[in-house]
Amino acid sequence: MPRPSPKEITFTIDGLEVKATEGEMLVDAAKHGDVEIPVFCYEPKLGQPVGACRMCLVEVEGIPKLQTGCSTPVKDGMVVHTQTERVHDAQKAVVEFLLVNHPLDCPVCDKGGECPLQDITFGWGAGTSRFIEPKRHFRKPLEISPLIAIDRERCILCYRCVRYSQEIAEDYQLVLHDRGAHSFVGTFDGHPYVAPFSGNIIELCPVGALTSTAYRFRARPWDVETAGSVCTLCAAQCNVSLTVRDDKVSRVMVRDHAEVDDGWLCDKGRFAYQAFHVDERITEPLVREGDELRPASWDRAIATAAAGLARAGRHTAALVGGQATNEDGFLLQRFLREGLEAHDLDSRLGAQLPVELHRALAAPALQASVPDLEFAHAVLVLETELMDDAAILDLRIRKGIRRHNMRLAVASSRPSALDPAAEQVVRFAPGGVGRFLYALANGDHALSDWLGDAGQDVVIVWGERMGGAPGGADALRALLNVAGNLKLGEREGAGLLAIPAVTNGRGLREAGVLPNAGPGLKAPVADGRGAPEIAAALADGDLRALYLLGADPLVSYPGRGAWAKALDRATTVVAHAGVLTQGIREHADVVFPSEVYAEKNGTVVHPDGRVQRVRQAIAHVGGVRPEWQVIADVARAAGFDLGVLTSAMATKQLFAAVPFYAGLTAEGLAGHGVRWPAGDGAAKAPEADLGPFTLEAPGPEPAPTHGQLRLGSWRSLWAAPEVRISPSLQFLHPGSSVELAPDDARRLGIEDGVPVEVAQNGTSLRGRAALRSAVPAGSVFVSDETAILTGALVEVRRA
Amino acid sequence: MTKLLFANIDEPDLNTIDVYRRHGGYEALPKALKMSRDEVQAQLESSELRGRGGAGFSMGKKVSFLPHGAMDKYLVCNADESEPGAFKDRELIQKNPHQLIEGLIIGAYAADVNRSFIYIRGEYQYQADILDAAVKQAEAAGYLGERILGSDHTLSLVVHRGAGAYICGEETALLDSLEGKRGNPRLKPPFPANQGLYQGPTLVNNVETLSNVPHIIRMGAKAWAEHGVQNSTGTKVVSVSGCVRNPGNFEIELGIPTRDLIMGLAGGPREGCTIKFFFPGGSSSPVLTAEEGLDIPYDFDSMAKAGSMLGSGSIIVVDDTVPVVEVAKKVAKFYAHESCGKCSPCREGTNWTVKMLERVDTGEATPMDLDIIASVQDQIIGHCLCVLGDSMAMPIGSLVRKFRAEFEEHIERAREARGMGVTVPEPEPVGIAGADPDVGPY
Amino acid sequence: MARVQRYPDGSRVPPWDRAVDLTKEPAPVPEPAVTPVPEDLRRTIEAYMSKYPDRRSAVIPSLAAAQRHYGWCSPEALDQVAAVMRLTPAYVESIATFYDMFETEPKPAHDVYVCTNISCSLLGADELFEHFIETLGDEGDFNIRAFECMGACDIGPMASVDGVYVGPLELDDVAAIANDVRDGRPVLSRKQLAHRAAADPGAAVPVPDPDTMAAGPPMPPERGRGEATSPEDEP
Repeated sequence: MPRPSPKEITFTIDGLEVKATEGEMLVDAAKHGDVEIPVFCYEPKLGQPVGACRMCLVEVEGIPKLQTGCSTPVKDGMVVHTQTERVHDAQKAVVEFLLVNHPLDCPVCDKGGECPLQDITFGWGAGTSRFIEPKRHFRKPLEISPLIAIDRERCILCYRCVRYSQEIAEDYQLVLHDRGAHSFVGTFDGHPYVAPFSGNIIELCPVGALTSTAYRFRARPWDVETAGSVCTLCAAQCNVSLTVRDDKVSRVMVRDHAEVDDGWLCDKGRFAYQAFHVDERITEPLVREGDELRPASWDRAIATAAAGLARAGRHTAALVGGQATNEDGFLLQRFLREGLEAHDLDSRLGAQLPVELHRALAAPALQASVPDLEFAHAVLVLETELMDDAAILDLRIRKGIRRHNMRLAVASSRPSALDPAAEQVVRFAPGGVGRFLYALANGDHALSDWLGDAGQDVVIVWGERMGGAPGGADALRALLNVAGNLKLGEREGAGLLAIPAVTNGRGLREAGVLPNAGPGLKAPVADGRGAPEIAAALADGDLRALYLLGADPLVSYPGRGAWAKALDRATTVVAHAGVLTQGIREHADVVFPSEVYAEKNGTVVHPDGRVQRVRQAIAHVGGVRPEWQVIADVARAAGFDLGVLTSAMATKQLFAAVPFYAGLTAEGLAGHGVRWPAGDGAAKAPEADLGPFTLEAPGPEPAPTHGQLRLGSWRSLWAAPEVRISPSLQFLHPGSSVELAPDDARRLGIEDGVPVEVAQNGTSLRGRAALRSAVPAGSVFVSDETAILTGALVEVRRA
Repeated sequence: MTKLLFANIDEPDLNTIDVYRRHGGYEALPKALKMSRDEVQAQLESSELRGRGGAGFSMGKKVSFLPHGAMDKYLVCNADESEPGAFKDRELIQKNPHQLIEGLIIGAYAADVNRSFIYIRGEYQYQADILDAAVKQAEAAGYLGERILGSDHTLSLVVHRGAGAYICGEETALLDSLEGKRGNPRLKPPFPANQGLYQGPTLVNNVETLSNVPHIIRMGAKAWAEHGVQNSTGTKVVSVSGCVRNPGNFEIELGIPTRDLIMGLAGGPREGCTIKFFFPGGSSSPVLTAEEGLDIPYDFDSMAKAGSMLGSGSIIVVDDTVPVVEVAKKVAKFYAHESCGKCSPCREGTNWTVKMLERVDTGEATPMDLDIIASVQDQIIGHCLCVLGDSMAMPIGSLVRKFRAEFEEHIERAREARGMGVTVPEPEPVGIAGADPDVGPY
Repeated sequence: MARVQRYPDGSRVPPWDRAVDLTKEPAPVPEPAVTPVPEDLRRTIEAYMSKYPDRRSAVIPSLAAAQRHYGWCSPEALDQVAAVMRLTPAYVESIATFYDMFETEPKPAHDVYVCTNISCSLLGADELFEHFIETLGDEGDFNIRAFECMGACDIGPMASVDGVYVGPLELDDVAAIANDVRDGRPVLSRKQLAHRAAADPGAAVPVPDPDTMAAGPPMPPERGRGEATSPEDEP
């Protein structure tokens, strides 16, 4: 869909002639002339202005009544006055009215010092208030959720939080109660406001009514330093601004990148900073002595690791995941390939894909960017739950639907949070995405017509996990055929957007952490094994050493049984970890402490190809060293010099090795990053065959017998170790949940909330039953924190 | 004067379609359907019928504001009559609902609208039941639904009941309430004619306005406009209440002296009392003292020139037995209760005014507080999102201005009764039921 | 020594609003599988939803139906309305607390709305309201509320008893009203607005036709208490 094309007009404000974009609101246009119009309820991110607070009243020539600047679009030749007595009287009046019920809490209010009400009272108020009646009182502060405290006395009823909950996050949990001067913000019947994006209201609130309980009384704005970086807790890679006091991160706020996060953060990104400074975090190297991991010196740890790896030589494998940056992955693959002549490394969780598919999916022509999600004519969300995998993109899609009449289709096995907003919802059996795509590519599915008619700009958002499942390569070829049918490669605003399972999935692939591709997706020296094959080889003894860079196979990789055997058999396991998760704790021989993103210097690549810079904001905690340095030291001790002495050198090496990063420099990335598919590097992308491919008809669906159910799984947004060790977020850590359709539950005699067992071939896992009418009959969904069930069919019974 | 809206109003069963038709009902509708839409709109405009809900805007012009073309358009009849002192729509709906329905169908035809709603206030349960029955009869008779009376016009009519909120009488708040949200007014522009119900073009009209439409079509605009005076054509149903002998609804020609209404039709003040002042247009209008107001002609322009307004045409008469402070407090409390809370001046200003007036009454105020009250009203006027703020500020402001002496006298007496001299006393702790007193410093 | 009033929790401010209960789960759109809704209430709400282009417009009539069914807009009622309409209960609660006629606290069965606005108060409505409270306030079957102008200033001071407008009322009428309601008779029929002729002297009152002579204007319909009416009866 065409982006709004700005037309320039001239208008007069306070006697100055100012150029502005046509249709801009007066409050924004006035800034071009250095004129500030005070606002409270106006927040462009929230959509249409409401004109509720009346703070922005200005005089517009030709209109007898004062107009609200936030809702008046500028027109050519408009004449505006903001310094007349009438306007000043109105502004003083509104400030006086707002302070009528506002308590004098500034000394104890968290917002003091960064409070728009303070600033506007000082700048535009009368200086005194004539109100001597008793103010309205509420109990204060109350927790409206474990993360947010509400102080209703301070609330000036600007409506921002309620509009956010209703129009942006669309969770409709925060509402206004009562009427008039008795209005207050609240939730239903004492239920807490818990939603993945609830923390944004803390930043939206212009006064200290909604405050973060984690940040309460911790710092005043003049005590802190701010540093910008990129959050690497999930693939959405939102830009954040870290509030640092005494070298500790005390708060995370948005850094408003219109093309990445659009000025919002999810609660995991907002509150998981607490994980940086807790005791559970590993900050010293650990070496296994007997059965236990004991703290050791850096020299000893490096020596032990290097010795083990050198001994295994080319029988070494590596798994990279978690929050690893491009440089970390790049240096590790260099160490393995060039230093140890080992070729078995992978950054993906599932089976290998042919390198041609990787190249095709990385083609710049087929790449959709994040703003495209908002402006497309239609978006198809395919086999991914955005709320869990890249939360902030869920908001972007809702924005597109709300503001630009974008049409949404969801095709997935598991019911999605976007279903209510979607025009078309297609449910297929778990594991049936290949069949669905085959039908779609051949035009046999109802959705083919819908996609064809929807418009020219179609964006398909798909979850990379489906590529690693059985039949994944065929599914991806079918996807490329669909893209070809819809001519997605020929339009700017259309394309594919892949959501990886790990934060920097795309960057690690482009840095060469793939068994069958090197840096820049070029052919490697020799092809190696992918993750499942590495597990099998370790179990057989063909591989002996394993380097885990931010990955714990027992926690996040499918096929847990196979990995348990593999780790048992491996002779040397070297791991980088921030938290001792099960696999690391039981099997690692050397553990190096992981950095958190606030300590890192490096680059990551957003799923849409934007190379972003992660910048260090705090000094390393405890004995933590940069991970690129650890890899370089281990390599040197094993006899291979990687040639990096600073992180800048690592970045430079990476950019030199990847052809399509041509022209990128660390300084050039600055705070906003650069999308290489849209820049000079696009021409240097690897040659790729975009299809159409001949497709094999997929096999039949596995037929359930004896009341078996088809198994699907998902990974919750909150199923991360950072969430588990952050004190404020612990209440969100999901238990093991088993989602059933009501008919199946009734047949099996299972009620909502009872413990159940999901079993397959002798292995079983326990969880709590959750009845969901949206789950299609015949399927069951299990949160896959412990992915021990590998087959397609399971039995469910009461535990 | 021959009655138009109130003709045969007490005829038994006038609310049934047979009796209504017997008195000439549903004759205007086929006549209008034979005219073109533009012709009907021209008739409405040349009749100079002004909105009877309070704003007084030309109805015909409003119809012309709706965009032409095939799209979802709506007509909403505002039957949320909650203005204190107004009860004219109640009688019209209760006794002659088909008049309204016929007028609504003709208005919808002129505006090319296919879906219409009547938003009736929740308290009017009996009247809404009558309206439901009348709509069913109209549907059965073919006056609603597809291809009405063989024309190409289709119209559905839904009667929607409110649930008790004065603010929903404001047209944009009504649209929000009809959409299923809280009844908060919207910014204008965009106007409902462009973006109204469900963001589609919407025509909002008062009950009485629509009830006039069949008569305009039946008699012809010119004949109809001969009633009334220039700029205020037609008849008006005026509700008179308060300290009068004969309160009720009276259909009059606009322009008659107000004296004829209050002293004549409504019977004047009760035995032994004299009129102190009155509200000419419901409790939202600035008051007029008996000397100023009784001889002013009762029409839009004359009332505006006198510094007040005709509004919905509801007169509330206050006699000399009632203290002005009581009236001011009652009126202010109403608006404070009904304020929706969206914009700051109205929400806080009404609340503040009530508290100050209470202090005036209990003897904890000084004449300076009267200045503050007057200043707060000035701070509200013109700064609010909708007219509710002004609706409080104008009458209260006019009361404080015109009866200043009585206010000051009331303050004096109340302070004496309380034993407060001219010094400012220590505020007493307010006794609250259930609280345990705590002795000692806090 | 100055006395400072305190409340049981030691605070000087009244704790009249509710705190959030952190042990509760958040309240998204209710899951149909675990939110049972009485069948007649569901049918009524779905009938309302079908009348409007946007189903959300049905929230006020649906809340009225739920209030009739349960006697008040209890959290259970709000949850069920939300479940049928696919909204969150918080949204439904925000609508219910906005409007005067929805009661979010348990209330006695019979509603008596006494108008205490300007026109009626000029005629003694405040004393009338006080008398209602003194006489019937503690009885437990009358919900007596001071209400805003109900559009019946010609019969002031007036009250709306279960939807029936009666007035002008004198203090003695209070007992009569209570007796009529408790005995199931039409309330104060000689003073009902429904039976009142127009005050306008010019309104033509025709000579009644002897063949079709009715006993005055129609009586108001009796409303059932506490049962949801069927969709055919509902407007």
